[in-house]
Amino acid sequence: MSDTTPPPLEADFRLLVQGVADYAIFMLDATGHIMSWNTGAERIKGYRPEEIIGRHFSVFYPPEEYAAGKPERELETAIEEGRVEDDGWRLRKDGTRFWANVVITALHDSDGTLRGFAKVTRDLTERRSAEQALWESEERFRLLVQGVVDYAIFMLDPAGHIVSWNPGAERINGYRPEEIIGKHFSVFYPPEDNAAGIPARELELAIDDGRLEDEGWRLRRDGTRFWANVVITALYDDNGILRGFAKVTRDLTERRRAEQALDERRRLLGHLVHAQELERRRIAWDVHDDSIQSMVAVGMRLQLLAARLPEEHRATLSSLDEAVSGTIGRLRSLVFQLRPTSIDRHGLVSALTDFIRDVVIGWGLKPGLHPGDLTEEPPTETAITIFRICQEAVTNVHKHAQAKTVDIYLSTVDRGTMTRVIDDGVGYSMPGGRPEPKEHFGLIEMRERAETAGGWWSVTGTPGHGTTVEFWLPTTKAPEAKT
Amino acid sequence: MSTPAALVRVMVCDDDPMIREALSEVLEAEPDLIVVGAAADADEAIALAGELAPEVIILDVRMPGGGGPRAAREILYRAPRTRILAFSAYDDSGTVAEMTRAGVVEYLLKGTPNTEIVAAVRRAGALREARETS
Repeated sequence: MSDTTPPPLEADFRLLVQGVADYAIFMLDATGHIMSWNTGAERIKGYRPEEIIGRHFSVFYPPEEYAAGKPERELETAIEEGRVEDDGWRLRKDGTRFWANVVITALHDSDGTLRGFAKVTRDLTERRSAEQALWESEERFRLLVQGVVDYAIFMLDPAGHIVSWNPGAERINGYRPEEIIGKHFSVFYPPEDNAAGIPARELELAIDDGRLEDEGWRLRRDGTRFWANVVITALYDDNGILRGFAKVTRDLTERRRAEQALDERRRLLGHLVHAQELERRRIAWDVHDDSIQSMVAVGMRLQLLAARLPEEHRATLSSLDEAVSGTIGRLRSLVFQLRPTSIDRHGLVSALTDFIRDVVIGWGLKPGLHPGDLTEEPPTETAITIFRICQEAVTNVHKHAQAKTVDIYLSTVDRGTMTRVIDDGVGYSMPGGRPEPKEHFGLIEMRERAETAGGWWSVTGTPGHGTTVEFWLPTTKAPEAKT
Repeated sequence: MSTPAALVRVMVCDDDPMIREALSEVLEAEPDLIVVGAAADADEAIALAGELAPEVIILDVRMPGGGGPRAAREILYRAPRTRILAFSAYDDSGTVAEMTRAGVVEYLLKGTPNTEIVAAVRRAGALREARETS
């Protein structure tokens, strides 16, 4: 400040300082006592000028800072270095704290004598809490990533080098962070994939599409392979510049193994069912072509003989003939049970029609067959499975439901055949949550048949309102199906 | 026809020799029926039917060479006045319908008493006039 400065400008300057509300701007004397006070200071710290002028500035510091001698030290630093800047908690008049950015500047006159200090304080409480919130959310996210052991989650730089590593990555890939950070992520790929340039291509695809998902074999540190599901996401900053990639890897080896075991089991069961049906059909035709024909011929000859023999033998022959007829009838139903032979030549509806006519009516049930929505005849193998399940379901109705009617609905749905067997009986319910063991076996068999054929099966019942057995089988031909 | 009107000329057709023989005997035992021939498969049935011109044929359904349906269709195509009885261990609706479409006049289940078989052959023989006028 010079004496030549025009007084009006100095007055304007004072007005400016006085008027600033966002900054506390005030003067301290050489020992730290407050000499001036502006609007911002009043607003931030809560003191009116007459309450604070003349007091030592250490009143703004929390007790622990005061006890540690911080106010004096800040003045000393300002004297030594010309200024001091500090962020920290300060006290308002009412004792509440605020987070302050403080700049203290030492003021000397032209001959170098310390005249005092200028102090500028900003209240950063709001900004600090926003920063704190951001930091906490980043920290929580970091802890989250660090806590995940089921997924390998790590970052790649734009060139594909690993820049972070989580415990999941360590568990799945087998590397410790210090062993892998800085290495190129292609170390996880088997040689044949590296030779084919797959790692680089996956990054390119992630850049093009934003993300890439892939399943395949990957290598662990010890060289063993695991079946991985990998998602690579390209990461950009606010300016659209590629910052790197996030890579999330799951080890699906166990799941794949379980699925394969299930597939294998289904395949074996499928073969078993197929072989069983072939064998049944062979036996059915053998019984038809040999046993039944022989018995029919024997019956005809017995009747011829009866006509030629004297009267006294007629009764004996007649009972023999009845035995033969009974045998023919039993053999015929055996053939039907083994294989509804009409299914091969005339299809599902024909076989179910015969089953209802020959068997179900005899049980005293009033049956209905509703094939109206069946627009596509299922292939023979599927038709046989549907027939067998219907046979079992209707037999269950006969044995357990005490029903008057049973209706079979067939429809073509979703490239497959939907079948519903509905009765009006007592309603299926599982006593104590479980069906009777014997009944249970039949239910399991129906379900296994449906699932083996690639479909589903369910049973629902309401006590007093009947039971519905419902199942769907896809219209796909079974392997090596042969008729 | 040179055969006296009272005699019905019958042909049997079955791939099982025991059935062929037993059935022939059953029919031969009747004074008004005469078995003019026996065939063991569809081709033979078609050929013999053309050669012997039987009035009634008892035809098995499941036979080598296309089975009963084909034999019935071809025989009736060549000799529409022939009356064919299907004779099968099956009476499933699909097969019955197929044989009916092929033109058989009656469907006999194997195991039916001899007397009913004979009665059915006589009924078919009596259809002669009805067929000739249609």
